[in-house]
Amino acid sequence: MVAFRSTDSSGRQSGLLLRCVLYSMVAIGLMILDRHYHQLTGIRRVLSVVVYPLEVAVASPFEGWDWLHESFATRDALRADKARLEEELRMAHFRLQRFDAMENEVRKLRALRENAAGVSQKFIVGDVMNIDLDAFRARIVVDKGARDGVFVGQAVLDDGGVFGQVARVSELTCEVILVSDPTHATPVQVNRNGLRTVAVGSGDPNHLKLPYVSTAADIVKGDLLVTSGLGGIFPAGYPVGTVVDVHRDPAASLADVDVQPAAALDRSRQLLFIWVDK
Amino acid sequence: MNRDDRLPRSAMALTSLVALVLAIVPLPFPLDVLRPDFLVIVVLYWSIRAPRAGGLMLAFLAGLSIDVVQGMVLGQHAFALVLIAAWTMQVRLRVRVFSVLQQSLTIFAFLVGYQFVLFWIDGATGNPVTSFGRWLAPPIGALLWPLLSGLLNRLNER
Repeated sequence: MVAFRSTDSSGRQSGLLLRCVLYSMVAIGLMILDRHYHQLTGIRRVLSVVVYPLEVAVASPFEGWDWLHESFATRDALRADKARLEEELRMAHFRLQRFDAMENEVRKLRALRENAAGVSQKFIVGDVMNIDLDAFRARIVVDKGARDGVFVGQAVLDDGGVFGQVARVSELTCEVILVSDPTHATPVQVNRNGLRTVAVGSGDPNHLKLPYVSTAADIVKGDLLVTSGLGGIFPAGYPVGTVVDVHRDPAASLADVDVQPAAALDRSRQLLFIWVDK
Repeated sequence: MNRDDRLPRSAMALTSLVALVLAIVPLPFPLDVLRPDFLVIVVLYWSIRAPRAGGLMLAFLAGLSIDVVQGMVLGQHAFALVLIAAWTMQVRLRVRVFSVLQQSLTIFAFLVGYQFVLFWIDGATGNPVTSFGRWLAPPIGALLWPLLSGLLNRLNER
């Protein structure tokens, strides 16, 4: 076989164009199948299981370092942490006391209005994996996949607010697109007066934009934006961000609104995947 | 004299794997934008050095593995890498006798071509990345070429 292969190199050079065309056709075929017919989700899942050990191998040294760091944390630091967490838990319990009653009330009111937007019931927590995807897209990998029931289009939150949605699912991991990605849009409304609009990512994890607000709209610095529940991905009422700057150019018909996201898009390590009952 | 006689398949697989790891290892903010396409450089190296060992199959598989990890569309990186690897093989005999500077410039052209194909497919499939930052990878890759090819040569001669 080897002797047969090493005949003369000029003979093989001539086949280069043919082979290039062949491989290119296969690649183009893959792209068309993936893009237009969504035929490759199964294949992609299998392939990503093959890549999974590599991803774990890349991420584990960083997790190991974090673990070491925590193991050797000083007693004082741990005590301070414990005191802070107890304080937070007390506050949370205090707020929760009325929560059950309020949730019931909300359900009743929603039922009265026959509103389809439900209240989130079930969730799982996923850890962000230490893997860099494209530096120019706001996407991350999380260690929960189809095996855990995660699905494409699922809403993802962190403890501050709306984080993003699931863009792609493989068997053991999933890819989450952040609300700050330039191609991501979140249906929002101003909590103060119910003004509905769309928050679009800017590519920067600390800024979102509201490109479709007219200069005459009632929106001011400090307004809280919450999800409006339109679009069917995000349940209504979760915080998305706070308006930090409204710039009204008298010559333009649309205002320039800058929003600070509520979620810590570049810092959160634990994310919530939620299921919404309709 | 002919180095292609013993096909360095294991070295090829190993270096490609290391390059794939370098492609996804997390880097702090300013560095992750400057990250060169390590796997592309490795594939170009083997296309020049030993085209018969891996050939376009190496380019295709390497591209496909990037696609699985971070591609928007499956086959995108594979397509770009196959085109650029074929171009490299076409001119490889000339590239081998070039000086370091000429080699770097040629590699720069290849990397720009690769990035352009990706840019074009991203746009055509509706996931455009218009930031200027993505064009930083080719010049940095070309600057690193003397270092990386020297390193790979050293490994190869063991």
